[in-house]
Amino acid sequence: MKILFPGLGALALALSAAPVAAKPIAFARGSTVMAEYGAGTMNEVQAFYAPRYWWSAGAGWTELMSEDGALERDIVYVRGNLLAKRWNLPGAQANIFVWGGLGRATGSDFAGSTLARSAGFQVDYETRRVYSAFRTDLQESDYFSHRIDTLQLGIAPYEHDYDTLATWIVLQGRHYTNGLYDGIETALLLRLFKGGTWVEVGATTDGKLQAMAMFNF
Amino acid sequence: MKTFINTLFLLLITAASAISAKTIEMDVNGLVCAFCAQGIEKTLKGFDATAEVFVSLENRIVAVALKEGAELTDEELTKAITDSGYAVVAIRRSDVPLQVIRDRVTREADDE
Repeated sequence: MKILFPGLGALALALSAAPVAAKPIAFARGSTVMAEYGAGTMNEVQAFYAPRYWWSAGAGWTELMSEDGALERDIVYVRGNLLAKRWNLPGAQANIFVWGGLGRATGSDFAGSTLARSAGFQVDYETRRVYSAFRTDLQESDYFSHRIDTLQLGIAPYEHDYDTLATWIVLQGRHYTNGLYDGIETALLLRLFKGGTWVEVGATTDGKLQAMAMFNF
Repeated sequence: MKTFINTLFLLLITAASAISAKTIEMDVNGLVCAFCAQGIEKTLKGFDATAEVFVSLENRIVAVALKEGAELTDEELTKAITDSGYAVVAIRRSDVPLQVIRDRVTREADDE
């Protein structure tokens, strides 16, 4: 393995308060479960199954909370993911994913529950050394509409192989609409994966901790 | 007549070698993430003919060791890789054990 930054070791971690941009479809005939704790803004649990490498379906739960605590949404949903386009290159891969779903949402600023709609897309490009992804998620209903835009840029201190531990340092910028967070939320994440296990730990420049774990099987 | 027999003999030997190939090595594009490439191993291990699978992101290869007397066609292998979401560039067959390929990949990595 070639080490890009010898002795990089433990990192100052920044918080990410929304799901990190892992691919929404892992592999054919594979199941994925994911749980994320995003202190203060977003928590999420998802489970998907991919009958083919180009689509998956499943369900999830998302909790959104504004910075000041005034707004809260609780959304349970079913969702389908589609790999719209992939480029397999020597030493690189690029993808376009799209998704959409329906669910029920409750909120702190409206009574009862309401039909919730979600949609989004992700474009990414990666090699074994660099990772880049842009993702947008729209969560809306008759009572709220929030769009979450996320840009991730990652670098690997060494190039992982199939049976070795992968380590990535990911810089993330995120923008929320309609009252969840003002400005651009910046985070630094440490990403580790091996086999079917993927974990991420990070912190935002606000000093809040987030953790995410994902399993493929 | 002698030329014909020699040619026929060579053809039979070549065909026999292909049939008895122990290992199949494939050059694959898009191999950059081990987390995602697990699907390739899972798919290839689903064949009765498969004894073992080796994946190297560094060399961008997927190698399959066949069970004794078993065979996988190029079409089956290409479909397996394509159905896993990747692209096959080339397929090579040989009599060398899979460990020889592992050792070659390790040597190449150490030499860098």
